[in-house]
Amino acid sequence: MKWLLAGLLFALAVTLAIGTAALRADNARSRYHLERAFHQVRDRVIEYRRLSVGLLDEASPERLAAAHWQHLRAAQQRREGAVQ
Amino acid sequence: MKGAMQDGELGRVRFAFGLLGAVPVFLAGWLGWLQVAQAGELERKRGAPLRLVPATADRQAHRTEVVPSPRGTIVDRHGNVMALDCETYEVRADIVVPLKVRLDVAIFRSWLVGLTESLALALVADPDLADRDDVRARHTARLAKILQREFRTGDLPASGPIPDQHPLRVDLLVASEVEVLAVVDALRRVVTDKRFVAVDLHFLRSYRRAYPERNLTHGIVGHINTAWVKTVGGIAAMQSTGVCGLESLATLAPEPAAARGYLKDGSGRAYFTAPLVNAPTATVLHSTLDLDMQRIALRELTATAEAGAREGVVTIPKWGAMVLVEIATGDVVAAASWHRGQPNPAASPFTPMQNLCEPGSIVKPLVLAYAYEAGVLDWGHTFDCTSGSSEYRERIASLGRGKAVKDDHPCHELTPHGILVNSSNIGASYVGLLLEREQWRDYLRFYGFGAPLGLQLPNESLGGPHRDSFDPTTPIRRFRANTAISFSFGYELQVTTLHMARAYLRLFRGANAELRVCRGAEVDGQWHPAPAPADSGPRFRQEVVDAVRAAMVDVVSSDPHATGAHLHRNMLKEVGIDLHGVIAGKTGTAASRIGIKGRGSVDVRNASFVGFMPTESPRWLAVCVLQKDDSARFYGGTYAAPPVVRLLLQCQQLEQRRLMRQESPNGSIGQDRGQSGSPGDSGWGRVAPETTSVGR
Repeated sequence: MKWLLAGLLFALAVTLAIGTAALRADNARSRYHLERAFHQVRDRVIEYRRLSVGLLDEASPERLAAAHWQHLRAAQQRREGAVQ
Repeated sequence: MKGAMQDGELGRVRFAFGLLGAVPVFLAGWLGWLQVAQAGELERKRGAPLRLVPATADRQAHRTEVVPSPRGTIVDRHGNVMALDCETYEVRADIVVPLKVRLDVAIFRSWLVGLTESLALALVADPDLADRDDVRARHTARLAKILQREFRTGDLPASGPIPDQHPLRVDLLVASEVEVLAVVDALRRVVTDKRFVAVDLHFLRSYRRAYPERNLTHGIVGHINTAWVKTVGGIAAMQSTGVCGLESLATLAPEPAAARGYLKDGSGRAYFTAPLVNAPTATVLHSTLDLDMQRIALRELTATAEAGAREGVVTIPKWGAMVLVEIATGDVVAAASWHRGQPNPAASPFTPMQNLCEPGSIVKPLVLAYAYEAGVLDWGHTFDCTSGSSEYRERIASLGRGKAVKDDHPCHELTPHGILVNSSNIGASYVGLLLEREQWRDYLRFYGFGAPLGLQLPNESLGGPHRDSFDPTTPIRRFRANTAISFSFGYELQVTTLHMARAYLRLFRGANAELRVCRGAEVDGQWHPAPAPADSGPRFRQEVVDAVRAAMVDVVSSDPHATGAHLHRNMLKEVGIDLHGVIAGKTGTAASRIGIKGRGSVDVRNASFVGFMPTESPRWLAVCVLQKDDSARFYGGTYAAPPVVRLLLQCQQLEQRRLMRQESPNGSIGQDRGQSGSPGDSGWGRVAPETTSVGR
């Protein structure tokens, strides 16, 4: 009986050791993915801010007026094309 | 149990378990032998020997990522962003030549070509990039040149293995200011290629300065310069400093960089440990500028300055400056700068603060106000301003002045009010001669001529009187004949446009009134207001201010002798507004001789105008100066006054529209851009914030 218990305890120790190692490995793997996700999020934050600044630039009255005139000219050309 | 197990079997079980029990004992012994008995040191070329202990192994895995502090955001008085930091990456490559590539130079060369092309291809991954092929070719050529230089490929034999001692590891800058997601993703993919496993790309955090509405803010907001500097430890580091304008204010000096820790294994894989704590925050500098007013000021100044060029009839000015100031606070609401030939705006002087000129007749209200306040001038007195009259001969010609004092048009009997309306040089000289030398010195001190503006902006021109104006060896009679008379109508004195604006601010608000360009700053979420405008100190009596104000109202009238009559007539015709009583002002025209680099001594003419509105209780003050470097006809009333009047009228309209918008029951009409210190928050669609009492 005691040999059986000793065997079970040893098996438990081995299981714990393997389990701990597995957990640590999984933790490292998760940290690796987390670091990558962290970079990806930061890349997207940078992209988002870049686009925001671009929009801020394009929202100046001069740019909006230019875009409006461009739109009106295009509409005029379409109308003239339709008449012809 | 014992009986159930045979003796031999028991022995085998004991042996097996004994072996298993010996395993941890062996491992413990091995660990002790390695970590204690065999623990040694590794000699290094630089620094102390490396101790081979567990702490060293842990330390090798720990890495830190430097996170630089942002410089800060500059916003106008309504929260519109004028300068901000955009996060970018500086991408560096740590390239180690793989073992199998080292075996043959030909393989090494083709490996380098493959790496160069892969990096160049990644750098042009921006889907919005125009001329992709050209840009890619440029990147390929640049990277190939760097790699050839660093790996010294020219020294390698045509074939065979790479010789020993040949550089096999290189660190190079792949690109800076990388911020497009597609490019970042493409670069990260390059190192996943099996051929380039020994290449490690480092994405170092950095910032790019962005300036929305840049063409409006070159001079006043300024720009930064980035350079390599040696730090305390002797290590070179990139440092950005503001070189001019608001960018140079100390509030915007970045805080020390922060660092985020992470782990890295032997294969270069990074492992997350913690996010960044105490991330540096951006300071928000609130300027006094109003972007909409600035736009109007620049547009009007440019249109006026370039009008002659478009017509092709008259020459255009050399430079122009126009400022708009809120009198109650001294806030510089707009400061426009213009140069002929449109040179590089970043390298051009900021004319309102740096370009000096002789102000001419726009100082006359200041001179008369000072004389009236000093008690030497009776506002009801009449002066005979006829050229060559007995009074003229007695008081001016008798002083022996070399150059006669003349008026632009014949003037006769004039009160101080009439002297200002007619802009009589003879009349102003009579008044100027009433002041003693010390009073002239006090006049300059009171109005701040020749004194710093106190805006904390670098490279400002001080101007001031001529160096011989107050020479103690100059006899009083000569001082009166030359300096006193010249000062009376704005000669022998150099000013900037902002100095003139401050002088008029002091006329209305007293000797301690100062201009300001910064309302305050938000540092770590705490609001630090700029010093409140000082209203203490000596100031003119109300009757003095009212008398001068009334005269300046009549300058812009239909009176045929008023120097603003032409302006009054034209604006009535152009916009249908009778300006009399709406805008008050004073015209100025000065002919000077200045030294211009490469051209020697040149005759220049300055046209200037100072105006304010409303005339009853002035709120806005605008000054415009235009300088021509030829002798063409060029007058303050016809050239400098119209942009000032248009600016003031549009300023009033804009304020009324804003007021209506705030009073609207539904909040905003249309969309407003709200307060925004964050580049990620464009603020569109929110109700415009009410300005604080500080800024109004």
